[in-house]
Amino acid sequence: MFTNTLFLLSAALTIGGALAVVYSHNLMHACLYLLASLFGVAGLYAVIGADFLAATQLVVYAGGVVILMLFAIMLTGGTGNRINRYGLEKIASMGNKKTYFFAGFAGIITSLIILKIIASVLRAQPANKVLEANETTVNKLGVLLATDHILAFEISSVLLLGALIGAAVISRPRKERHD
Amino acid sequence: MISLGSYLAISFALFVCGILVMIARKNIIAMLLGIELILNASALNFAAYTKFVNNNLDGHILSLFIIVIAAAEASVGLGIVIRFFQLRESIHIDDAATLQN
Repeated sequence: MFTNTLFLLSAALTIGGALAVVYSHNLMHACLYLLASLFGVAGLYAVIGADFLAATQLVVYAGGVVILMLFAIMLTGGTGNRINRYGLEKIASMGNKKTYFFAGFAGIITSLIILKIIASVLRAQPANKVLEANETTVNKLGVLLATDHILAFEISSVLLLGALIGAAVISRPRKERHD
Repeated sequence: MISLGSYLAISFALFVCGILVMIARKNIIAMLLGIELILNASALNFAAYTKFVNNNLDGHILSLFIIVIAAAEASVGLGIVIRFFQLRESIHIDDAATLQN
């Protein structure tokens, strides 16, 4: 009962937030809707027993990425934009009747193809296991990270160091020329 | 209700929304928001397959690495955006056409 409620709420929050990101006219609001969608994804992780993933999702996205994006929006939102203060088009979509016709036609074809592909996957889906009591995954994840996936772990640490240095180098203030 | 199919459907909706944001928006930061949505869709797929298909935790490890890479990508991307804004006083994607011709 509780997991079903959590699943429904999280799914609604995820999809609603993503749709609001698409249709929002204000970039600041779009970023906050993205935050809601990421919270929903964390709830979906929690439903299938991925507790460490849910916590990491909350910490990294809500604490890091969205705040970073809000800072960037506020740093760049002031001047020089064509449409409105946040540089968004008034209408999210573009095109005319002809492009809509062809895009709709292509969309129907593509959805049929995808349905054809997905049908076999769904039919071959194994019998859904009943959700047993979720055990914690932190212990096993730590052991796996330090044994089987140690190479990827080290490479990701090098990647983070490179991203740190790269971001600092790219966005450093311009040098004043004194000559 | 909580099944592999529903998780795949949610992930598909997230992916389509991300693609729509990347196509329809003209603002570079908004396009970065779309990239975050797409990365989340793939990470959700990995976690769902771990739960419903095989119960080893490799999918969780992959989702963790996806989160790490998304954080790195966001920091470098926003650094580039802020630098571009310093140079051009704009974050409209049509102004980033120096290499086009």
